[in-house]
Amino acid sequence: MTDWTGSLSLDLEDRLGKTVAKRVYFQGAFKVMRPIYADDSGQVCYYLLNPGGGYLDGDRYKMEISADEGSKVTLTTQSATKVYKTPTSYAYQEAEINLKKGSYLEYLPDPLIAYENAHYKQRNIVHMERGATFLYTDILTPGWSPSGEKFSYDTIQLVTEIYWDGKLGVFDHIKLVPKQQNITGLGFMEGYTHLGSMIAVSDQMDNVLLDALYEMIQAEEADFSFGISNLAIPGFSLRIQANATQTIERILNQCHTIISEKWNNRPPSSLRKY
Amino acid sequence: MNNNLLSLFQLCDSNFPIGSFSHSFGLESYIQEDKVHNQETFLGWLKVYLHEQLVYSDGLASRLVYEALVDNNIQEIWRLDRLLTVQNLPRETREGTQMIGDRMLKLTETLYGLPILSQYREEVKSKNAFGHPAIVFSMVAHGLHVSKQDTILYYLYSAISSQVQNAVRAIPLGQTAGQTITHQSIPELTQAVETIMALSYDDFGMVSPGIELSQMKHERVHLRIFMS
Repeated sequence: MTDWTGSLSLDLEDRLGKTVAKRVYFQGAFKVMRPIYADDSGQVCYYLLNPGGGYLDGDRYKMEISADEGSKVTLTTQSATKVYKTPTSYAYQEAEINLKKGSYLEYLPDPLIAYENAHYKQRNIVHMERGATFLYTDILTPGWSPSGEKFSYDTIQLVTEIYWDGKLGVFDHIKLVPKQQNITGLGFMEGYTHLGSMIAVSDQMDNVLLDALYEMIQAEEADFSFGISNLAIPGFSLRIQANATQTIERILNQCHTIISEKWNNRPPSSLRKY
Repeated sequence: MNNNLLSLFQLCDSNFPIGSFSHSFGLESYIQEDKVHNQETFLGWLKVYLHEQLVYSDGLASRLVYEALVDNNIQEIWRLDRLLTVQNLPRETREGTQMIGDRMLKLTETLYGLPILSQYREEVKSKNAFGHPAIVFSMVAHGLHVSKQDTILYYLYSAISSQVQNAVRAIPLGQTAGQTITHQSIPELTQAVETIMALSYDDFGMVSPGIELSQMKHERVHLRIFMS
């Protein structure tokens, strides 16, 4: 199918230490704002935005991003992705990311908010050469519902596939269907409402970093539950269950800071949202 | 009962020396948090582990591998071996499964002498494959002409009965309680096979967040009797 509600493609390259777009294209209800350089590192930040204000019944979005050798980019959203009720067909978003060796891409979207009877499916496909770095986060949030019910959405399904050096290295598949699952019970959300994830892949990954992240998160004072573990390829995955977006955001931001200082020798630039 | 089926039963025995008794796949985290502490709470965990993790990973893989063997599509098996391994995000669970798969492969190659097992071992040795018990089991069962449904059913039975034995030791539970749970899990296993037969490729690797978290958390459990 090619009838996208919105699509965008962005190809990045390094020009004398500054990351610039060699091609930007978008159509329909998906846009990128002008590039922002928050510091003198040459890393570029693009805000993705959905001018419609939310994902509706049957909406389909696609983005294709590529980063050439040496380019450094942050992709984020302008605000939370809101998925409203989808009575006939689920809303879908697909991202395909291609990273050349020595490139750095962080994809840090705002939380996903799924409202009553919303069905959302997302697929991220990342192809990385050895020596590339990829950092990804997501936060799943139940939206307000008239009945006050916490899990009023229909389905949230997220699939992330990371190919590393030509081979599948990570396959992550989360599917929450509250009406079919004992969503609050043992094995599922276990009394929590929000789910946060981070996946990082880099040749620079080591156990010192894994332990540093674990210790930092362990010392957080809030009601949450988490697990962090090495991937089958150099990198880690982190999962957090909590009752507030802010708790997950704070932990993910601190992880981002530790990783950035270790891998890029500088703190991350702040992502200003308006 | 024929000899082939009996021959496969040897693989289902929780005493089959492939190290299954060293891996709790996150159960020990729940025991330490006191969320699993008796027959009832353990049965609750077992059902979620079966219906929300095994069904979409080992169970579906076992079916797809069997179908690939029927179609003689060997490349598909190596693809499933990788998918099954990398979808297992918690390191201990992933590496533990790989260790069990490796030992099972060595032992079954000796016992059953099927060419496909030798081929799988070669792939593992040359690091083109990881080795997974669900795949080894399906290869043996297919080689013994056991039906596809029965292959999945017996594989799930062996996975569940190992965990019952682990729970008897770790919680601890009485031997009678253990046998009662195994007995209660029979209709669950039949239901799981029905689910698996109706799944599509898009369902592969779905994981429930709590189960996965417990498996990640186990890395940091200090006093432990299990490796995962």
